Amino acid sequence: MTKFIRSVIMLAGMLIFINAVNAQDRKVTGTIVDDEDGQPLAGVSVLVKTTKIGTSTGADGQFTINVPQGKNQLEISYAGYATQTINVDRESTLTLRLAKDLSELGEVQVVAYGVQKKSDLTGSISTIKGAELKQIATQRVDQALQGRAAGVLVLNTDGQPGGNTTIRVRGMNSINGGNNALVVIDGLQGGNLNSLNPNDIESINILKDASATAPYGAQGANGVLEITTKLGRVGKPIIGYNYTFGLAQLRKKLDVMGAADYAKTINASVMTRNGSGQTPVPIFSDAEIANYEKNGGTDWQDVIYRSAPMHNHELSVSGGTENMRYLVSGGYLDQDGILVNSSYQRFSLRTNIRAEINNWASFGLNWAGSKETGNSPPYGSADISFLGNSVNVAPRWPATEPVYDEDGNYWVHRLGYGPSDTWNPLASAMEPKIDNNLVRNNLNAYLNFEILQGLTLKITGGANIDNTNNQIYHNQKTYEGKQNTGLGISTENTFRRYQNSNILTYDKEVNKHHFTIMGVAEQQYSKYKFSSIRASVFTVDATGASDLGGAAIRTLSSDENDRVLNSYLGRINYAYDEKYLLTASYRADGSSVFGANNKWGYFPSASVAWRASQEEFIASLGIFSELKVRASWGITGNQAIGPYQTLARISSGANYPYNGTEGTDLGFFVLNAANPDLKWESTAQTDIGIDVGLFNGRLNVTADYYRKKTTDLLMPRGLPGYTGFSSIIDNVGSIENKGFEFAISGDPMVGKVRWNSSFNISTNKNKVLDLGDLDRIGYRTTKGGYSVNTPFMYLVKGEPFGQIYGYKYLGVWGTDKTSEAAAFGQLPGDPRYQDTNGDGAINSQDLTVIGNSFPDFIFGWSNRFSYGDFDLTFLIQGSKGNDLFNMGRIRLENPGEGTSARLLDRWTPDNQDTDVPGFIEAKTREEAALESKVSISGDQRISRWVEDASYIRLKNIMLGYNLPVSLAKRFKINNLRVFVSATNLVTITDYTGYDPETSAYNVNDAQIGVDFSNYPQSKYYNVGLNLQF
Amino acid sequence: MKNIKTYHFLFIAVIISAMSCKKLTEKPISFVEPENFYTTPSQIEATFAGAMNRLWDYWGGYGYGMGNFVNDDQYDGGDLVIGNNHGSDLWSAHYAAILNLNSAIRAMNAGNLGASATPEELDVLMGQAKFIRAFNYFMLVRMFGDIPLITETTENPTTAEIVRSPIADVYALIVSDFTEAAAKLPRKWDAFPGRPTSGAAKGLLAKTYLTMATYPMNDPSNYAKAADYAGQVIQEGDYSLVHNIEDVFSVATKYGPEMMWSFNSNYADINTDPQIYRPGLLEGWGDSRVQIEWEQAIPETPRKNAYVLTELNGVKYPDWESDQTPFIKKFMYDSQDDYDNYSSIMSMPIIRFADVLLIYAEAANKANGAPTQDAVDAINLVIDRANGYAPIAEHPLLTTAMSVEDFDEAVIEERNQELCFEYDRWFDLIRKKDSNGESYLKLKTIPAFQPNYSDDDLLFPIPDADIELNDKMTQNPGYTN
Repeated sequence: MTKFIRSVIMLAGMLIFINAVNAQDRKVTGTIVDDEDGQPLAGVSVLVKTTKIGTSTGADGQFTINVPQGKNQLEISYAGYATQTINVDRESTLTLRLAKDLSELGEVQVVAYGVQKKSDLTGSISTIKGAELKQIATQRVDQALQGRAAGVLVLNTDGQPGGNTTIRVRGMNSINGGNNALVVIDGLQGGNLNSLNPNDIESINILKDASATAPYGAQGANGVLEITTKLGRVGKPIIGYNYTFGLAQLRKKLDVMGAADYAKTINASVMTRNGSGQTPVPIFSDAEIANYEKNGGTDWQDVIYRSAPMHNHELSVSGGTENMRYLVSGGYLDQDGILVNSSYQRFSLRTNIRAEINNWASFGLNWAGSKETGNSPPYGSADISFLGNSVNVAPRWPATEPVYDEDGNYWVHRLGYGPSDTWNPLASAMEPKIDNNLVRNNLNAYLNFEILQGLTLKITGGANIDNTNNQIYHNQKTYEGKQNTGLGISTENTFRRYQNSNILTYDKEVNKHHFTIMGVAEQQYSKYKFSSIRASVFTVDATGASDLGGAAIRTLSSDENDRVLNSYLGRINYAYDEKYLLTASYRADGSSVFGANNKWGYFPSASVAWRASQEEFIASLGIFSELKVRASWGITGNQAIGPYQTLARISSGANYPYNGTEGTDLGFFVLNAANPDLKWESTAQTDIGIDVGLFNGRLNVTADYYRKKTTDLLMPRGLPGYTGFSSIIDNVGSIENKGFEFAISGDPMVGKVRWNSSFNISTNKNKVLDLGDLDRIGYRTTKGGYSVNTPFMYLVKGEPFGQIYGYKYLGVWGTDKTSEAAAFGQLPGDPRYQDTNGDGAINSQDLTVIGNSFPDFIFGWSNRFSYGDFDLTFLIQGSKGNDLFNMGRIRLENPGEGTSARLLDRWTPDNQDTDVPGFIEAKTREEAALESKVSISGDQRISRWVEDASYIRLKNIMLGYNLPVSLAKRFKINNLRVFVSATNLVTITDYTGYDPETSAYNVNDAQIGVDFSNYPQSKYYNVGLNLQF
Repeated sequence: MKNIKTYHFLFIAVIISAMSCKKLTEKPISFVEPENFYTTPSQIEATFAGAMNRLWDYWGGYGYGMGNFVNDDQYDGGDLVIGNNHGSDLWSAHYAAILNLNSAIRAMNAGNLGASATPEELDVLMGQAKFIRAFNYFMLVRMFGDIPLITETTENPTTAEIVRSPIADVYALIVSDFTEAAAKLPRKWDAFPGRPTSGAAKGLLAKTYLTMATYPMNDPSNYAKAADYAGQVIQEGDYSLVHNIEDVFSVATKYGPEMMWSFNSNYADINTDPQIYRPGLLEGWGDSRVQIEWEQAIPETPRKNAYVLTELNGVKYPDWESDQTPFIKKFMYDSQDDYDNYSSIMSMPIIRFADVLLIYAEAANKANGAPTQDAVDAINLVIDRANGYAPIAEHPLLTTAMSVEDFDEAVIEERNQELCFEYDRWFDLIRKKDSNGESYLKLKTIPAFQPNYSDDDLLFPIPDADIELNDKMTQNPGYTN
C-alpha cells in the first residue's frame, strides 16, 4: 500500500516536471519572500537539484544561480520553512513565496519553563501556529482553537461578540474547582485568551499529558496553553496593516407560526375548554384571522436580530538589528452583535522587545495592554427574570402582537392567551443600558545570563493587572426596571497578579549523552478586590446608574482576598544518541490557600520515549522519517480552593431588624467551620503515544491514549445539622477520564497546487467514581417558570458528567392504541411516557437517563490549498453524540401559549404520525372518565425536549489572493493580500434550537447541556486585506 | 569571567531574598475569624441579628407560612402525616442560631469585651443572648424531644461526639436561660422596641413552665411557677391588650402595647412575599389556606372577622371563583403598594400579652384546682375584646363556677381562636391530653385525619443528615431511619 502511494506521488511529480529539457547553462535570478508577510528572506539555501551547485539569498532575498544544461529544478530550503522544489525550465527570473513548515521536526518547541527540540519531546503536546490562527477570520483566540487540536474541546456556549467559550483539555477533572486550562503567555502564568490579538501570536502549544503539565504542579491538572507571541526579524522595519470587514447574521431562526396560524391555534386550544357543560368562546374572530391572513403580523425574531457589521484594524511595526529585535502592534476591533443593543470593542497594544546586551546576557520585555468594552441585553442564565429576557421572549411573542401601540409606546401583550406575563421583546432588548469595561495590562520582563557554557540563568518578573468597571441600568420600560422602579448595578473589581520565576538551566552534551537539567524557584502573589452597588427605586429614570445617589434602596457589597504560591521545580531531560529519551520532573508548590496542615503539595512526573526511526534497522527501511513511542506518568493538581476556604469565617450579610427601628440591623454569623486539612485536588495521568512520520515528513501521524484519575475533589461534606452548619468543604470525590486522540497531517500535493491537510479526532470517556457521602448530586438548571421544579442534570456515582434524567417520551398515543392508553388513563392524542419499572403507572420511579451532554467524539479537518498567488483554506469540525436539553421548547410548544410551528403538526385523528400531543377537548375527557395513572403533574423533565446536538460544521472557509511580488514592488509594498471568508457557513445538525453548541448554565461542568435563551450563534461573512511595506 | 561569577552569586542572593518575602499563612482581609470577633457590644448585637436572620427569612425558616413547620388543625392540609426529614430546615436554622449565640456567650464569659462594655452593659448583652438561645431550644425541644444540647461549653461540635440529651436537661437550660434573661434584661427599651425585655422573658418562662407541667414532662408543680411569672407580667403593667380587635395586627401596633417579642420585618428588611397569604381573587398565590372545618367550628365574633377572611365583596368563600377556602386575614395588613412590590413588612408574634393572660388563666386554674377570680378575669379580658365588648351567646365570658376541666378546655379553645396561625396551636395540641389520657392532637384534628393519628406524630423526625453522619444519633419513634 505504501509503495503504491509513493508511486502515485512520484508519478504526479513527474507529470509536473516532465517537459523539462534544456540545452545550455542558464542564469536564473529570483527573490524569495515569506509567504505570510511578503518580507524578503535572507540566507535561504538555493540548490540546483541533483548537483552541488548552490547559493543563498542576500539581505534583499535575492539570488542568482547558474543552472547547467539538462537541469531544471531548484530546491529551496530554509530553517523553519517547508522545503520546496521548483521548476525553472522556462523562467529566468522568478519570485517564490516560501511557507512556514507547520510540522518541522528539527524546530524547537516551547515547553514549560523552556524550549526543547521537537524531536526530543517525550510528552503529549499539540501545536497550533499563528499562521493557522489567521486562516480563520475570527478575532478571538479561543474560538480559533476549535477543531485544531486533538483532545481539546471548545464550546462556543454563547454567541455574543466577546462572549464566552468553554475550553476543556482532555475532559473534566473537577466538579467545583473549575476545569479551565492554565494559560501561559510568554512565560507569564494566569493569562487570558480574550484580550489577545490573534495577529500577535507566534504559536500555541497545548500541553496535555502529565509529563508536559506536571512542571506547573498545582495549576497543571486541566492542561496548559503555552502561548508565544511574535518578535520582529532582523532587517529593516516592516509595517503591516490588516483590515477585515465582517457581517454577522443570525445563523438560523426558530420556526414559529405566522399570525393567522397562531390565532387559529389559540382558538383551537381555547375551544377544548368545554368541560362541565361550558361553552368556550374563541379569542380571535374570523374577521381578525382574515386580516392576519391578508396582512401578516410581527416577526419578532426579525425585530430583535439584525445584520451586524464588524471592523477590525491591526497595525504593526517590527524589525531588528543584530542586538535588538522588536514588535509593536496595535489592534482595534469594533463589532456589533446580531442582537440589537449589543456590541463589543477591543483596543489592544503590544510591545515586544528583545535585546542582546553582550555575548552572555540578554534582556526581553513584553508589554500588552487591552481595553474591552461591551454591552448586551441580558440573555441565558443572566441574573434577571426571563420574563424580560429578549432572547427568551422574542420567539415566544406571537405574530399577532404589534411592536408599538398607537401612541408609539411599547406594546403590552394582550391578556387571555400567549405569554401575557412577559415583557415586550424589543423593549427588553433596547432599553437595558449595559456598559462593561475591562482594562488589562500584562507586563513581563526577563534577564537571561549565560553564566558558563551551557549554564543559563533566566530571571523573569511579570504582572497581570485587570480592572473591571461595569454599569447596568434597567429603566422602567424594562421588566426588571418596572419591578424595582429602576434597577442599577455598578461593579468595580481589580485583579493584580505578580510572578517572579528564576530558571537555572544546564545543557550538556557528552558524546552521545545529552542532558538538560533545570531548576526553578518561583513565587506568585495575587490580590483581588471587588465592590458593587445594587440600587433600586429611582426617582429619576433618566439618570439611572449614573446617579446611584438618586435611588432609595441601595445594597452594597465588597470583597478582597489575596493568595501566595511559592514553588520549586526540578527537571531533567536526558537523551542518548537521540534514540532513548527520558524526562523527569518534580515540583513542590506551597500555596497559601491550602489548609494549615497541608500547605505544600508535591507533583512528580516521568516520561520515556524511544525514537525507533533512529535505529539502523528501522532507518534502513526508508519508510519512516520519524517513529517515536512515548509513555508518561505524573501527578498534577488543581488549587481549586478559593482563598480562606480553610478558615472559619465570620460573615456579614445576615441582617435582621432586631432593634425594631426604621432600618435593618447588621447581622454577622459564622459562615463555615475551619478545615485545616484541606488540600489540592490531584490528578494522576498516564499517557502512551506514538508519533509517526512518513515520506520524509510529508505525512505525520500522532496517536495518544490517556487515563486520568482525579482524587481529593473539593466538595461539601455533609455535617449534622446540630453543628450549626450543613456542610464543610473537604477532599472527598473522585473522577476518571479516559480518552484516545488521533491526529494525521500531511502534504498530499506539493506541486504547483499545494495541499496541506490535517485531521484530528478524539474521544473522552468520563466517570464519576466517588461523591463522598452522596450517591448523586442534582442541579436544577432553570430560572423557574418552565415546570422543571426538580433537578434534571445529575452527577451520579458510576456515571459520566452531563447526565440528563427525566421521563422517557414515547410520542403520542394513537387511535390504534386506545385501550393501551386507557390503561394509563390516557386518550389517543395524549403524550405517552415510558413506564420504566413496568408498574402500570407513570411516576417518579420511572425517571431514567434521557441524555448526556458531552460528545462521544469530536473532530476537526483543516485544509489549505495554494496555487500560485491564490490560497484556499477551510476547516470542518464537529461533535458526535452530545445531547442538549432544549428548555425553550417547553413554552414554545405549550398549547394555548406557544408559537412553535410544530403545534401545527399536532396530533389529530387524521395526523397521527407526529410526536406533538393533540388538543383534547375537556368534554371528551370527561366522557371517557378515565383515571389517570400519569402522576407527573406537568413535570417537563421529559425526553421530548432532549435533542441530539451532534453536528458537522464548515467552521471556516477563506479564499485569499496575494498580489504578485513583482507587481507589489511596483507599488513599493512587500505584500498585499486580499481575502474573503465565511464562518459557520454550513452546519449539518438535527438540533432544532439556534445552535448545537450552546449552553446556558456553566457554573460547573455538571450543568453544561441546557439550551435556555442564550445569545444565538452568528454566521459571519468577511472581506479583508493584509498589507506589508 | 570573574564578574560573571559575581553576577551569579548576586542573583542567587536576589532569588533567596525574594522567595522569603511572602508567607503562606493566610490573613483574611474581608472578614475575621471567630477568635477575632465578639469583642465589642456592637459585634455581640450583630450576632443577635445574625441568629434571628435565618429563622425569619425570605422564603425560609418561619418566614414562609407553615411550609417548613407543620400543618395543625387550623391550616388546610394538616393530615398528621409527617415524612422523614420534615422540619430539618428549622432544625438547621435553630442550631445555626445556637452556634452563634454560644460563641457570643463564650466570648463574654471569657471577658473578651474587656473595657468596651461596663458590667451592667455586659449583663444586658448576656440577658439577650440567653433569651434568644432559650427561645431556640424551647422551639427545638417541643418539636424534636431529646436533642443535642450544645452550649457555650461544648467543645467543637463538628468533631466532638454528640448524643441526644434528655428533654429534662434541655428544659433545665431553657429555664435557667430565661430566668437569667428575666433578671438581666430591662423592662423597656426606649429606642429599640424590637429587642427582648424582662417581661418577654417572664412571659416565655411562664410558657415554658406551663409546657413542663403538661405532656411530656407532666410535672404539675410547674403550674404555680407558670402562674407566678405570667402574674408578674400582668402585675407589672408594662403590657396591655390592644383595645380594638381589628388593630391587634397592624403596622402601628407591631411593637406594643400587646406585642412583647416578635419576628420583625420592615421596609429595609422585608419578609416573604405577602402574596402567600392572599387568595387568587386578591391576586395572591393561595399558599396558606385555612381548614374549612376549623373555620366552621369557631363562633362568629368580631375577632373571627378580624383574623379570618371568609368573605369578599359580600361573597362567601364557597362561592368564590377560585381558592374556595377561608384565608388568614391576620397577616394581610400590608398595604396594596407593599403587596405590589412583593414586600411584606408583617411581623410574627412570638410572645404577646393575650398569650400571657391565657397562660395565666390556664396555670392558675390548674395550680389552684379550680378557676380563681384572677384567672377568670385574665381570660375574660381576651374574650370580651374578641366579642367587641358586647355579649355573644356562642362565646360567653367564663366564671369561677366552672369546673377545673371545663375551664381548662375553654382556655385551650380560647388559645385556639386568639393565637391562631401563630405557630402556637400545634404545641397546645401535643402537650394537652383529656381526662382519658387521649392527646388533643387526636381529639381536635378534623375527623377525616383522625385515623392517621398515632403517638409517633407528637414528635418531628431527627433530620436524615444528623442520623446518617452521627452513629450516636437515634431516631424518634415512627420514622424509618
